[in-house]
Amino acid sequence: MEQKRLRVVHYLNQFFGKEGGEDRADIPFLIKEGPVGPGMALEKILGNRGNVIATLICGDNYLARDVQNASREGIELIVTYKPDILIAGPAFEAGRYGVACGGICKAARERIGIPAVTGMYQENPGVELYRKEVYICKTERSTLKMVEDLTFMVNLALKLASKEKGKRLLSLETIGRPEEDHYFSRGLIKNEIADKTAAQRSIEMLLAKLQGRPFQPEAKRPEFHPFEPPPPMGRDLSLCEIALISDGGLVPKGNPDRLRSRGNLIWAKYPVETFWPGESQASALEISHTGYFPIHVLEDPNRLVPVDILRDLAKEGIIGRLHPFFYSTSGCTTSQVRCQEMGEEMARELREGKVDGVILTST
Amino acid sequence: MRLQIERIDIGGLCVGSRTGVSHHVLYVDFGELEGIILTDDRIKAVRLHIASPGDRVRIVNVVDVIQPRCKVDPEGSDFPGCLGKLRVAGEGRTRSLEGISVVLSNRYSKRPYSALIDMFGTGAEMSRYSALTHLCIDPVPSDGVGERDFESAVKLAGLKTAVHLARAAEGHPVDRTEVYELNLAERTEGGQSHLPRIAYYYQLYTPQHDYQGISDPILYGSEVKGLLPTILHPNEILDGAVLSGHTIRELDTYTIQNHPLVKELYRRHGKDLIFAGVVIGVASIEPVQRERMAMMAASLVSNVLAAEGVVLTKTHGGMPHVDLALVAEACEKAQVKTTLFIQLVHGVGSTADEASFSSDALNALVNIGQTQERIRLPKADRILGGDSDTIICNPDSLQKAGDEEIEIEGFLLAGVFDVLGGSRIVAVDY
Repeated sequence: MEQKRLRVVHYLNQFFGKEGGEDRADIPFLIKEGPVGPGMALEKILGNRGNVIATLICGDNYLARDVQNASREGIELIVTYKPDILIAGPAFEAGRYGVACGGICKAARERIGIPAVTGMYQENPGVELYRKEVYICKTERSTLKMVEDLTFMVNLALKLASKEKGKRLLSLETIGRPEEDHYFSRGLIKNEIADKTAAQRSIEMLLAKLQGRPFQPEAKRPEFHPFEPPPPMGRDLSLCEIALISDGGLVPKGNPDRLRSRGNLIWAKYPVETFWPGESQASALEISHTGYFPIHVLEDPNRLVPVDILRDLAKEGIIGRLHPFFYSTSGCTTSQVRCQEMGEEMARELREGKVDGVILTST
Repeated sequence: MRLQIERIDIGGLCVGSRTGVSHHVLYVDFGELEGIILTDDRIKAVRLHIASPGDRVRIVNVVDVIQPRCKVDPEGSDFPGCLGKLRVAGEGRTRSLEGISVVLSNRYSKRPYSALIDMFGTGAEMSRYSALTHLCIDPVPSDGVGERDFESAVKLAGLKTAVHLARAAEGHPVDRTEVYELNLAERTEGGQSHLPRIAYYYQLYTPQHDYQGISDPILYGSEVKGLLPTILHPNEILDGAVLSGHTIRELDTYTIQNHPLVKELYRRHGKDLIFAGVVIGVASIEPVQRERMAMMAASLVSNVLAAEGVVLTKTHGGMPHVDLALVAEACEKAQVKTTLFIQLVHGVGSTADEASFSSDALNALVNIGQTQERIRLPKADRILGGDSDTIICNPDSLQKAGDEEIEIEGFLLAGVFDVLGGSRIVAVDY
C-alpha cells in the first residue's frame, strides 16, 4: 500500500544552513524551500516516506537570547507549510545550537501539535534542559556518524507520527523505550504489557535469586540522601517565629488551588488569621487527600495542624509568634523527588520570611 | 486438603422464564432472582441488567465483581461466615461458571472511588472483564438503612446471586475439572526434594482507607483490622474464605476466587518449586505493631512453613509498601529470600522515586504497573448502575458518566490492574 509521504520541516543553525559562521550568528529566521546541508542526507533517509519541504534557519545567538519567544516566532513561519513532522539539527555538542533545537521542538509540539525530534551529544546542555519535554536522540560528539544519527531521528519521528496503535504500551502509543529508540530518557513512567503476568514474573525472579542467577528488578532502588540536621535555632524560643506545615491535604472549602487528592504535586499557603478564624471552623475547610479517612481532622483541624496550641504558646510567651501563613500540601502517593523540591521551595520562602522554626505534621 | 473446582463454560446469558443452564446458555428468571435479593429487608428494590461484550454499555459505581460459584460438596457452605454457615472453605467440590460474572453497583455509595467497566472501546480493550457477560445488580436501599449497612446488603445480594446462578447449572456437563491439593503437614525433610520451598505472604488489608473509620469484613465474614499474621491453606483463598472489600482498587472478589499467584504457585508445585503455604497479614499505622507483625509473619514463613523463598503481595495504596518491606526484611534476616510486589502511582519521574523503602536485601521488585495512568474513554450509549449524571472520580475535574469523553485513573477501571499478579502490565522508565 502506498503510504502518504510526510511533509518534513528541518531546522538548522546558520552554520549548517550554509549562511556562514560565528560572524552570522545573529541572523534572524529565514526559510529555504527544500533541503539544505544535512537536509540532503535527511531527504535520502526519508526516501519515499517523506520529503523535506522546507528548511528553517536561524542564527544561534538570535535564538539563544530569548529561546521561548524566538522559537514561537520560528514556528509561526512554518505553519503555512503544513508540516507533519519537525526535525531539528542534530546539534551534536554545540551548546547554543542544542538549546535552540530543544526550544524549536518544544514550540512545534505546543504551538502546532506535531511530533518533533532533535539529536544531541550527551554533554550538550540542551539535553538536561529539554529531555523531559522533547524527544532528543543520542548522537555522536561530531558529524562523524551524521547519517546514522539522522536515521535514528527519522525512525523515531516516523513512530511518533504513526497513526497505528502500539501493542506494547497500555496507552497504545507506538514509541519504544529510550534505549531501543536511541533517545534520552524523558523521565516518564509508562505502563507496558509484558509477556508474562506479575505472578509468573515474581516466581521466576525469586527462583533466580535463590539459585544465584542474575535477575532484573522492575523498579530502581530509591536513593535516600542523608542530610545534616540544621544547627539549633540559636535564639531564645520566646523570640522565635514558628511556622506550621502539613501534608494532610487541609485546604479551604472548594480547594481553590486544586491540590490533588492523590498524586498531588503542588503546595499552597493560607493566611492563618482568615483561614483559621478563632475557634477553627471545620465547615470552612476540606481535605484533599484520599490516603486516610479524615473524619477526625474534619471534626477538629487543630488535630492535624496545631494552630490552637501554637496560639496559646504565643499568648503565654513561650514562643515569639506563630508565622502568619500555614503551608499545606497533600502527601498522598506523591513522588519523593517532587516532595523534596516542594520542601526546598517552602524552605526558601520561610527563610525569607525570617521564620526560625517549623513544625511539620503528617497523617 | 483437596479442592475440586468443576468449571462449566457459559456462552450466553439471557432472561428466561426459568433459571437454568442448557447447552452452555444460562437463563435467568429475573422475577425469582429479585425475590431472592429482596428477602433482605435492607433492600427496597433492585434493578437487574445483562451486559454483553461489545455492547456500548458503561457499568458505573461498581463495587465488586463475583464469579458465580456454589459448593456441590459439602453443600450450603458458600462464602462461609458471610453467606453460608461457618465451615472451613477449600475442601470438597465447587462448581464454577466461566465466561460470566455478577457485577455489583452501589449508586448510593459516597466513597471517593467509583470503579467502572466499559463493554466497548478503549476500556474494553484494557479490562479482562470486558470479555465476560455480566449480570448487573443495582439495588436500592430501604428507608432509614445506613450507608455501611447497605454496603453489606449489596455484597450479600451479590454473593446470593453468584450461588443461585451456579446452582442453576446442576446436571450440566462439566467442561474442566481442576484439583487443588496440598498437604502442608508433609515436610520434605532431609533433602527428599531438591526443589526450593516457596511461601506466599498475602497482605490482605490496610487500615488507612477504612470508610467512616470502619473496616470491611473480608475474611470468613470478619474484618481483619489488627489481625496478627496467621496461616491459611491456599484452598481457603480460592474457595470463598476471602472476599474483596466494598470498593474496587485493583482487586475484586472474582480475582481472589481465581487468585493468580496462588494458582501459579500450584501450577509449579512439584515442577520447579514446592508450594510451602500462605501467611496472611495486614498493614498497620502503628510502628510497634508493624514490627510485631513483621516479626511474627517472618517467623511463620521461616520456622513454621520452613520456606526458603517467599513472594509478598500488597494491598492498594502507598503506605502498605512500608509494612510489606518490613515483613520482607524480617524474612531476609531469617535467610528467606524475597520478591516483593510494588505499585507505582506516578507518570512523571523514575521507577526509583516511589518506593518508600531502600534496602540491599529487597532487590527483587516486581511492579504491577503505574496505577494512576489516566485512561480516556469514549461516550457510552447506555449507563448501568447509575445514570448519565453519575459523577466519575477524577482528582482534577468534575465529570459525568454520560460525557462525550471521560478520563479516569487506571485503577478505577475494573479488571486492568491486579494487586494479586494476574495482569501482564508493568511500569517502565521512558
